[in-house]
This record gives sequence, structure tokens and C-alpha cells, in this order.
Amino acid sequence: MGRLILVRREKILRGGQPLAFLIGLTIAMTIGILLLVISGHDPFAVYERMVEASVGSPKAWSITLNRAVPLGLAGLAVAVAGSMGLWNIGAEGQILAGAIMAAWVARVGEGWPSPILITVMLLAAVAGGALLGLGPAVARAQIGVNEIITTLMLNEVALRLLQWLIHGPWKDPESRGFPLAPILPEEARLPGLFQRAHWGAVIALLVIALFGLVASKTAWGYELRVAGSSGATALYAGISLKKKILTVLVLSGGIAGLAGGIELSGNSDRIVEGISAGYGFAGIIVAALALLRPSGVAAVALLFGAVQVGGLSIQTMGVSSSVSTILQALILFGAIGAGVFSRYSIKRVSKEKMDVK
Amino acid sequence: MNSSNPLAVHLVDIWKRFPGVIANAGATLSVTEGTIHAVLGENGAGKSTLMNVLAGMYRPDAGEIQVKGEPCWFQSPADALSAGIGMVHQEFRLVPSFTVAENVVLGTAERILRRSSIESDVGNLAHEFGLSIDPSRPVWQLSMGERQRVEILKTLYRNAQILILDEPTAVLTPKEADELGATLREMAKTGRSIIFISHKLHEVKEFCDEATVLRDGKTVAASLLVKDTETVELAGLMVGSSPATTNRPVPQTRGEPFLSISGLRILDDRFLPAVQDLSLDVYSGEIVGIAGVSGNGQRELAQAIAGLRSMTSGTVTINGENLSNALPVDRSKAGLGYVPEDRLGVGLAPRLNVIENAILRNYRNLRQGPLLADEQMITYCEDIVDRFGVRTGPLGEPIAGLSGGNLQRLLVGRELSGDLKVLVAAQPTRGLDVKGVKAIQDLLVAERSRGVAILLISEDLDELLTLSDRLLVMHEGKILGEFDPDTAKRHDIGAAMAGEVAT
Repeated sequence: MGRLILVRREKILRGGQPLAFLIGLTIAMTIGILLLVISGHDPFAVYERMVEASVGSPKAWSITLNRAVPLGLAGLAVAVAGSMGLWNIGAEGQILAGAIMAAWVARVGEGWPSPILITVMLLAAVAGGALLGLGPAVARAQIGVNEIITTLMLNEVALRLLQWLIHGPWKDPESRGFPLAPILPEEARLPGLFQRAHWGAVIALLVIALFGLVASKTAWGYELRVAGSSGATALYAGISLKKKILTVLVLSGGIAGLAGGIELSGNSDRIVEGISAGYGFAGIIVAALALLRPSGVAAVALLFGAVQVGGLSIQTMGVSSSVSTILQALILFGAIGAGVFSRYSIKRVSKEKMDVK
Repeated sequence: MNSSNPLAVHLVDIWKRFPGVIANAGATLSVTEGTIHAVLGENGAGKSTLMNVLAGMYRPDAGEIQVKGEPCWFQSPADALSAGIGMVHQEFRLVPSFTVAENVVLGTAERILRRSSIESDVGNLAHEFGLSIDPSRPVWQLSMGERQRVEILKTLYRNAQILILDEPTAVLTPKEADELGATLREMAKTGRSIIFISHKLHEVKEFCDEATVLRDGKTVAASLLVKDTETVELAGLMVGSSPATTNRPVPQTRGEPFLSISGLRILDDRFLPAVQDLSLDVYSGEIVGIAGVSGNGQRELAQAIAGLRSMTSGTVTINGENLSNALPVDRSKAGLGYVPEDRLGVGLAPRLNVIENAILRNYRNLRQGPLLADEQMITYCEDIVDRFGVRTGPLGEPIAGLSGGNLQRLLVGRELSGDLKVLVAAQPTRGLDVKGVKAIQDLLVAERSRGVAILLISEDLDELLTLSDRLLVMHEGKILGEFDPDTAKRHDIGAAMAGEVAT
């Protein structure tokens, strides 16, 4: 009689994470081969195309990087809230709010010099996201309203606002009836980096690194971590939980808002309904896979971006979008999920021992 | 009771070890059919372990379980239940959105639930034992007392002949506790046997027929007839009567009153009075011990002094400063150190590393601008680790890996650093091994010599008698007596703990 359980390793296995990554990736791709063969494709051609399209050339890298930027920022937003044990499910709406605010600045700031215009746009985007985070933050801090529900519901509010704008007041008169806002002026566009990549990647990396430093090195970050680990201990040390909840949820909203601003200014050229492409929800997965650590968020977002780009590219080979999505999920799950084994080991326990607590 | 009645339960020489602790070391228990049998003992005496052995949750390392004369070997709680043993745990195991009736039949019901039929079944059962409850109400609407009745109904519905109640009155109001007593009496009349775990002696006196007392995992008194036994005697058995302790710290003259409390009133988590009009002073250079059966307001008193629980009236003065309404952090600045009962919940942050836990009281002074000064943090932490002999791995590792003794040294060391005037230590040596206990006790004595005023709350009377300069006994939120540990008779202390004022 026995059962398998996961046991936390006393020390994290050195070099275990890359190894687990490779093993997990191999298992996932093996299952993927079966899937592709069954669905009538040449698996190796498909894999080659995926790699080629996502990391095979500077251009491929630039496309991957552009995807990774909103994923990374949304992931960071979720991770910031997660450090206090809070869940921000509203990053999607906050991204939209950020994009709307940035677009508004671009409308009123016509004729401003480009660097100033872009700076103000991005700050406004942060404010937009933060504003959407403020309501849930106050409700949670003051009367304990579950932030998962409030942030989730505000997604819908932001989406409806955006729809109203592009069907109504902001509708481009030259769009021939399509619900689109006008194209942004050239001064409102983030400058390019290489190929299709833009400066948003640098900004995102800086923000992620900055939060990582603040969390680990400053007294404020320390207080945040104490509060996240034990509320009662934080209270004893004179750390105000209410203030921390408030700041963290607003900050989380602001970071997601920034993602929206960058997406508008760098990637899309106008406000359209699908400007976010689900980045806010994908950010939850990014944060969870990164174990809520900023350094992990950047790496996971890059991998996530590459897999998404690769997955899109194979659809032009006739691979159906559902098979492509399954492949993407397999790879992410295999590559990152396997990381758990560098921190946990599998043990067989006899039934006898299991009862001893 | 009639001793010719057969035994419902007979536990013989039960041993149960856990890593680092022997919870049961040859405990025995005999429960006569149709009686209410109290199992008494302080926290950590092994009551819960013994009951979990009987209820099939744990398997004993050695010993025999007999139910109605038959030897039994339980693999699971289900086995114990089929032998007629049901247990009502301290934490209820109910589905809040289900009705009373649905909770009661859960797991035993037919495939198709007929709401009206289960409700009338459960209603009849409740009526039979005088348990007033509406079977159709969802559980989330019920008070704690009502929820407990649902738990009791669950065991009755499964036809348990032997009921174990683990500290059932801990969650009840006094009125609910009386009602519970009447119900138990009703159940005993039907030939059922009830095992009642408690450390509230007056309840034992009121409800129970016989009592067994455990101490340090052993049975020190078996099946005493409650009506022939004084509460004082029970209290004495619970706390033990080892010979007068040696190596008491040398007495010293006390100084200023560093901690003054007057007219303190505090409510507990159920908003019932926990501390009632309590006043005490602790002077510089003395240890004042607080003895008492647990649950008599000691926990709430410590929390209120630390500023973690609000008080309804009274004042707390530390070193001449009135801090009755101050935040914990301001009390700490005024020179208060606090060693909480619940170390990992209140004192430490389990996911953070040794350094981060060591600086908790003082991190505001270890800053360079907005940054925490790494080197100062490490020096500060190393100082505590060295001075208090905390054995750790790398300081950057989470404290979750430290042993209980080392966690406590780290916590006590942190609280003792800085300009300390008053230390409130709640159960500072509980759960530690012999060496750990000695180390913490030595630290307390050393601080006393430095002139710190120490309020020591403990359930270990030996520890209190060894360390205290004065000993106060708390009972139902009041101080019932002050004793000189050198001359006090254990019998008198026991009497005060049982609520009977001696002298």
C-alpha cells in the first residue's frame, strides 16, 4: 500500500530549474508530436516554423518581444497584488483604461513635442489603470470587499466605456462605419528599437526591475513582505495593513494601465476593441507561473510571448487554431510546470506513515 | 456510578510519539457505560492525542483499545464510528450552505434525498435528546452553540454509543454550556457514554460522573468519582506536585513599577468578558508569574498589554507613560517587549528569512534613505543570533526551517534587544525541549537582573514557582490570590486556580 506525494525539498535543487525546464519541454513536445500526427500535420515542419517565427531571426525576436511587453507588465501587476495575497483579476480592464487615457492625451496634446507627448500619455495611462484599481482598493482596505469580484467586474465597465467611445464620440469619420478611433499622430508613437520592437520593451524591463529592487531592498518593500507573510505580525510591528492593501492594489492597476498605454503608443496605432488581446488575463497565468517573483515574470512573459507568436504563425500552415492553442498550452505547462520538481521531490509514502501528522 | 456497570471504553497503556514529543506515555482510561466521564489535563497533557487514538484518527505506537470488552484496532475514523465511537471536534466540520438535516445525513443518505423525510428524521432525533434546533435552517445562519448541536446530532444519527467531545464548552456562552450539560445527561440516561474533555473544573463538577486526569502523557488519576472529589484536588492533580524546585534565582530588591495596570476589562473573541477589573504592578527587576487554568483570560491580558486587543476600560502604564490606547509599535518604543503565545502567527513572518525576522522591531532605525541598510541589518541580526545562541542555517534562508527552540530564541532575542523596560512573555517555553526551556528561562532571569520588569504567563506551575518573585493566580478574568513562591503551598495555589479563594 502506498501513495505518491510531493515533498518540499529542504534546499532548492541547484541547476534543477533549467533541467526541469528541458525535461518538461521535451515531454510536452513529444505529446505535441502525437497531436500533430493525429491531426494530419508533419510535426517537425510545424515545430520548425514555430521556432523560426518566434526566435529564428531578429525580426522574429522583435515580434516576440512586442508580445512579451504587455504580458510582462500585466504579469507584474498581478504579482504586485499577489505579494500581499491579493488577486487583481482586473488587469484586462486596467489595460483598456490605460489605453483610453493615453489616447485622450494624444487627442488633446496635438502638436506637443513627441517626447513630452509620449511621457504624458504613459503617465496618464498609469493614472487610468490606477483609477480603476482605486475602487476595489478602497473597498477591500476599508470594509473587506473581496477584490477578486470587484476587479473582475470593472473589466466589463472599462470595455463598455471603450466601445462607447469608438462607436460614438471618438469614431473616426474616415473609417467607413467601422468602430475605430482615428489613427494616432506620428508624435504619439513610441520610437522603434530594432526591426518591429519599440522602446516599450525597455520601459517594461525597467519597471519590472525597479519593482524587484523596491520589494527586496527598501523598507517599504520589507513592510510589504512582512504584511504578505503574516498580517498579525505586521500589525504588531506597526505596519498598517489598510495602507498597504490600498497602495498595492492601486499600484497594480497603474502597472496594468502602463501596459495599455505602451500597447497603444507602441504596437497598435489607434484604439480598437481588441487592443488588449486578453493580456490582462494571460498576466494572471504569467504571475502564477513566475511564482509572483518579478524576475520570474520577465522570463515567463518572454517565453509566453514566443509561444504565442509561434502558435499564431503555424495557423498559416493550415494547423487549426484549436490545435495551435493546445500546443501552446502544452509547451507552457510542460516547460514551467516542471519547474516545481526543483523545489519538490516525489516521495512514496506507506499508508502507515501518512497518518502521522 | 454503579461500578458493576460494564466498561464502554478501556484504553490500556497507550503510547504515542510524534517527532520530538511523546504525547502519550502509557495513558489509561476506563469509561463506564451510561456515564459522563471527564478527561482533564493542561494543554499538552496528551488529552487530544488520546482521544484521537480512540476515535481512529491516530494509531497508537503501543497499547490496547477495548470497546465494550472487545479489543479493537482502528484503521480510520470510519472504523471507530462503526464500533460506535463518534467525536465532536473543536473545529466543526460542517457545510455552511447545507441545512442542518443535510449536514446530519451527509455521507449516510440514500441516493435520492427526500427533504421532508430527512428533516423529520433529524427533527425527531433532536427532540428525543432535547436538542432545540430547526432541521431546515442552513448552517451558516446558526450560532456556535447550534452548530455544535448539529455535530452532536451527526454522531447520534450514526448511532454512536460513545461520544467524545473535545473542549465542547470553549466555543459556548455560559447559558449554552448549561444546555449542553442537560443534553449530555439525557444521552447518558439512554445508556450512551460520553467523554468530556475540558479544563474548566466547575463544568466537570456540574456535568460529569467520573474524571480521569492526564499529565505529561500519563494518567495520574483514573476514574475518580467526581461527587466525592474536591475541585481543589482536581486542580492539584492537573498541575502536579513535584517537590519544591531548586535553583531559584537569588532574590533582589525591586525598583520602580515599570508596568502598571488598573481596572482592566477586556472582551474575548465572542465578546464575553475575559478580563474583569484587573489591576497589577510589575516592578523593575522582578518576575511576576501568572498562573491559572488556560482560558481564564491570560491570553487576552497579554494581548491587551501588547496593544493587539482593545480593552473596554482601564489603563496600562509603561514606565510612567499612559499607553492605554497606544499602538503596539508605540508601546514597543516605550520599552515593551512581547513574546506571544502564537509565535508563527503573531511574532514572526514565516516566509521571510532570519535577518528579516530579526529586524522586525527595529527596521525603522536600519535605513539609509528609503533603502534598508544591508550591512547594518546583517550586523543587527548576527548580534541577536550570537548573543542568544540561535542555531540557524544561512541567515538568508526562510525561518520556516528553524526548530521550535531556535525560533523562540530568535523571537525572544529580538524582543529583548533595545532599551527594554517591560517584557510580557506568554507561554515562552511551551513546546520546547529541555535544553530550549532552560535557555529561555536563563534569558528571562538575566533580563530580570538587568532590571527589566517581567510578566510571565505560563501553564507550567513548576516554571512559575522556579522563576517568579511573586505569583498571581487568574481565574475567570480576575486575580484570585497572590503567593510567595518560596512559601506557597501547591494546595492553596490549586484552590485559587479552581476558583476557590483560600487563605
